[in-house]
Amino acid sequence: MPRPVKRALPLALLCTAVAIALGACGSSGGNSGTGATADNGAGGHRGGTLTILTSQDVSSLDPGSAYASLDLNVLAATQRTLYTYKPTDPTNIAPDLAAGPPQISPDGKTLTVKIRSGVRFGPPVNREVTSRDVAYAIERGFNPHVANPYASTYYGDVVGADRATGGPIAGIQTPDDHTIVFKLTRPTASLVAQATVLPLSAPVPPEYAKPLDAKAPSTYGNHVVATGPYMLTADRSGTVLGTGYVPGRSLSFVRNPNWSATSDDRPAYVDAVQVRIGGSPTVSGRQVLAGRGLVLADSPTPELVKQAYLHNRSQIFFSPGGGSNYAALNTAIPPFDNANLRKAVAAELDRQQMRTVRGGAVVGDIASHFLYPGVIGFEQAGGQQGTGADFLANPAGDRALAARYMKAAGYPSGRYTGGQTLQIVGLAGAPDSNDAQIFEQALQDLGFKTNLKLVDSSVLYARFCGLPKARVNACPNVGWIRDFADPQTVLDVAFNGNDISPENNPNWPQLKDAAIDNAMSRAELTVGTQERANAWGAIDRQITATAAAIPWLWDRQPNIFSADVRCVPELWNQGHCDFAYSSLK
Amino acid sequence: MSVGAPGLLAQEERYEHDFEAGVARSPWQLFWRRLREDKVVLVALGIIVALVLVAIFAPLVVKLFGAPGPNMQDRNAVDAFGTPLGPSSGHLFGVDPLGRDVFARTVYGARVSLLVGIVGTGVAMLLGVAVGLLAGYYRGWVDTLLSRFVDVVLSFPVLLLGIGIASACSLGNGCVAGAITPGVRTVILVVALVSWTSIARIVRGQVLSLREREFVVAARSLGASNLRIVIREILPNLTASIIVYSSLLLPQTILLEAALSFLGVGISPPTASWGWMIADAADNFDTQWWYMVFPGAALLLTVLAFNLLGDGLRDALDPRAER
Amino acid sequence: MAAYVLRRVLWGIVLLALVSLLTFVIFYVLPSADPAQLRAGRDASPATLHEIRVSLGLDRPLPAQYWTYVTHLVFHADLGYSYFSGASVGSLLIDRLPATISLTLGAVVVWLLVAVPLGVISAVRRGTWVDKLTTGGALLGVSAPVYWLGLVALYLFADDIGKWPLLPGAGSYVPFTNNPGKWFASLILPWFVLASTFAAVYARLLRGNMIEVLSEDYVRTARAKGLSERRVVWRHGLRAAVTPLVTLAGLDIGLLLGGAVLTETVFDIPGIGRLNYDAIIHADYNVIQGTVLLAACFVIVANIVVDVGYAYLDPRVREA
Repeated sequence: MPRPVKRALPLALLCTAVAIALGACGSSGGNSGTGATADNGAGGHRGGTLTILTSQDVSSLDPGSAYASLDLNVLAATQRTLYTYKPTDPTNIAPDLAAGPPQISPDGKTLTVKIRSGVRFGPPVNREVTSRDVAYAIERGFNPHVANPYASTYYGDVVGADRATGGPIAGIQTPDDHTIVFKLTRPTASLVAQATVLPLSAPVPPEYAKPLDAKAPSTYGNHVVATGPYMLTADRSGTVLGTGYVPGRSLSFVRNPNWSATSDDRPAYVDAVQVRIGGSPTVSGRQVLAGRGLVLADSPTPELVKQAYLHNRSQIFFSPGGGSNYAALNTAIPPFDNANLRKAVAAELDRQQMRTVRGGAVVGDIASHFLYPGVIGFEQAGGQQGTGADFLANPAGDRALAARYMKAAGYPSGRYTGGQTLQIVGLAGAPDSNDAQIFEQALQDLGFKTNLKLVDSSVLYARFCGLPKARVNACPNVGWIRDFADPQTVLDVAFNGNDISPENNPNWPQLKDAAIDNAMSRAELTVGTQERANAWGAIDRQITATAAAIPWLWDRQPNIFSADVRCVPELWNQGHCDFAYSSLK
Repeated sequence: MSVGAPGLLAQEERYEHDFEAGVARSPWQLFWRRLREDKVVLVALGIIVALVLVAIFAPLVVKLFGAPGPNMQDRNAVDAFGTPLGPSSGHLFGVDPLGRDVFARTVYGARVSLLVGIVGTGVAMLLGVAVGLLAGYYRGWVDTLLSRFVDVVLSFPVLLLGIGIASACSLGNGCVAGAITPGVRTVILVVALVSWTSIARIVRGQVLSLREREFVVAARSLGASNLRIVIREILPNLTASIIVYSSLLLPQTILLEAALSFLGVGISPPTASWGWMIADAADNFDTQWWYMVFPGAALLLTVLAFNLLGDGLRDALDPRAER
Repeated sequence: MAAYVLRRVLWGIVLLALVSLLTFVIFYVLPSADPAQLRAGRDASPATLHEIRVSLGLDRPLPAQYWTYVTHLVFHADLGYSYFSGASVGSLLIDRLPATISLTLGAVVVWLLVAVPLGVISAVRRGTWVDKLTTGGALLGVSAPVYWLGLVALYLFADDIGKWPLLPGAGSYVPFTNNPGKWFASLILPWFVLASTFAAVYARLLRGNMIEVLSEDYVRTARAKGLSERRVVWRHGLRAAVTPLVTLAGLDIGLLLGGAVLTETVFDIPGIGRLNYDAIIHADYNVIQGTVLLAACFVIVANIVVDVGYAYLDPRVREA
């Protein structure tokens, strides 16, 4: 399911003049110019318990199916993937389980990774991790009982993956215990290497997990085994459900006795981590600001952001590149099959106010295209200035221009005179519901009659915006976050006409533009960072020009924590404090 | 809400003669006299009339006080962090996080509450009286069937039932094949569906005893059809009860609509609804007190007035031992 | 007597079955989140979704799914699985029940303690300012929405944001087994807020009943016999007047054990009502079905207890 929460960006690559002006290029890579500096956690002491407060439960503890940003935050401390992003460098992958950089064959169709020795599973498995464990971890992603959301997208090019249902895949080979080789059908090896930062590549012991994966759905998540510095408390058989994980209530982490500090760069200062689930973000946020040893995992309310920004500046961190927010317009059915109407709406929308109700200028930049600051290709698509599209030129909206587009669309009065009532579906809860209402008001100002429904996010995607037959005309609260640093992860699935599916549709505007689709097919195979930046930047410009979706915010995700917490934010994951790097003063 | 609220347990009626004056007055005359003498009821009635007028003439009232429209988002009333301003000269009751005037929205909110309350109560009474009449008059298997059905509905946690239906019917084309469109109609339906059962039970009880009275027996022996008997003999004798229970039910339906809106399944924004405003204000009520206090006070006043009216009507109709 | 009880219990079981069927029908119409989509995420192809559905048994016709649900419930006490929370529905219910029971029983005690004296006093001192004050207060209690009262109470007394920080605010509930002191303190405001409406209703009811009872012949006889007024009121009057209240309390307890959604929402108490509401919002069907059944169970049992009590006291009722 697409994550409505945000993720952070790669800064090191994009330190151009503009980015420096943003304050996005601190030496430790995280100073946005407002709020605390991202640091490496040193200065705190060893020991203590870090407590995370969150209103939402984790969706999954199984590295094979976890996808939400809180899940990733938890897994980053307990699972070691082949490659990972260091908290302060969200652009360049660093070896974690791997012993060195990925070896890519000249034709780009073979990826070889050497796995370091000395990494052991936590109790009750206890043995050393081998390449077979990584292979099994990826293979099980194709098992419908595990149902990994991105396995076919990023590992789909592996030979034999198209027929995989959980059994061995021909293209994943393990010539010895510490080597894993991926054979691909297309030259996308560097993309696959980057994709290993996602939890699917975290090793899973087959002898322990196979019986659990045989159940529908798989129960491995209730018995998950750790390879990282921390693990969920479990009973002797390895069951975390009930001890380390009480659904809807808490998660408890302790040190993994089998983790060896010499095999890992993570400092792992704190002794234990508690996650407390439930409680409104408002109440929890206040507790975090006033308390000790606490971190808020939710997005703080605008009130809290203001309070922290004005009075507790060192306790709030704005994580750059939290993701892009946009309003998707359904291009498959009237009236938004008409491009001029879409542009009129884009020109009418006051994107500045959309940002103000979320907390004002501190929480992000007004968006003018879909690649956001720090994603490769951002500058090539126009950077902060935008693509030059006139309907997005004025962040506060341009009514005169909107009227002109309405006339061009066939409504000489400048207002809609058709009989249709537009169905708009947004997210319930402030501030998203406020953004939805601002969007609706813009439509009404253009003369449209509207019916707004506010729902929970799982219902929003499953039953409305992601279901073409629901015939929703606009979804103002959707957004996209990169899965890893490559721009393909932001643009491809969200705007590729070939990805439109009758249910669980990720291409919410249902954009089907042949020129764009062809450009994307070519760009998928482009090799080289600069070349990909150019290719995808150009695609971003094309998508923006269609006005199929109206970008309105590039988040700088606020994160708040207690005064005694040295939070090391995961810039690749919306600034969540990384357990394995953070410490207490 | 208690099973016993608002005093809808089955009660019998008694008609008294006014012996003081030495004249036998009809129940209706007694009723009007008692009503006129009850000061509290008159005040409540006055408030209600004022509320209805305000609701009907909402745009005028808003203009009179110099407030902007209820959906006007005033960019200047919100600071750089998105924090709304409190009561000021430009905005009597302050603004909400979108910069909309709380006074205007409170006034317009009366429309929703009164409309849903009155129509919802009407529909509930219709359903309840119909079912109660049928069950009480025909007895036998009709009664058994209907009573059992009422039992099933009453076993259901009604607020949850309301939430479920409201949630189901407020998307796209609504439910019942488009007959119930999203918005006010859905809420009215839900409110009526949740409230009719107590009326049905009471009416059934009264009809059961009425049908044995002399005038009904006489009519039947004269060969009148069932329909005639029901309409001409029984229904008129229920009128007083219907009036009283309607007025006792009304404040409950108003509260129910507000509760549904508070939980987010009632009237959808941006239409102003008191319950929704209170819910929206709940997160920040310690710093944005105006957004919670004013709609809440309006709701309290409205419901209080209707409760006083209902009590007064019941006392006027049935003054056992001078309440 | 035994036959009557048996009949009521059997009818209760039938009611439960009907309620579960009604729930199934209604909530099927809801725009529910498809469990397959919840698990599969944004990129899953329709083929993957279909496979997941088959593996979860979601592709079979509805009556078949309902039948499976019923058989699981009756023979294995298995209420199904919550895909949203990743836990069995039974465990979620057991987890949430103590909070709702704490809230309900405490509120009942509070409202009875408040309503009984007030009702008696205002009946005895009918027409005086005490009576008027009580009646006025009761009217306010009945007219104010409980969530608004809760918010106002928090605004005034919550220790984190209140004007007079006295009591723990929203979200401070801890289970009794964790910390009895904190458990008690965190429930004080919710108890009073939840009790307010009920206290109002009960006080008014008791007042009305007492007035009637005190004018009955046998009471006049008791007075004439020289019994003290206090004895007359409390022993003879109250005992007769309070019976309807007891039965009403029984019914209301049944109702509240199904979860007081509004109070639990405002004070952030993890009870059954909140569980049900969240399940509806997240369209988590199995949890909805489970909580509704539980709530209906409580209501039905309460009704049976009350009816059997009446039948015990009044043999004529058994024939009905």
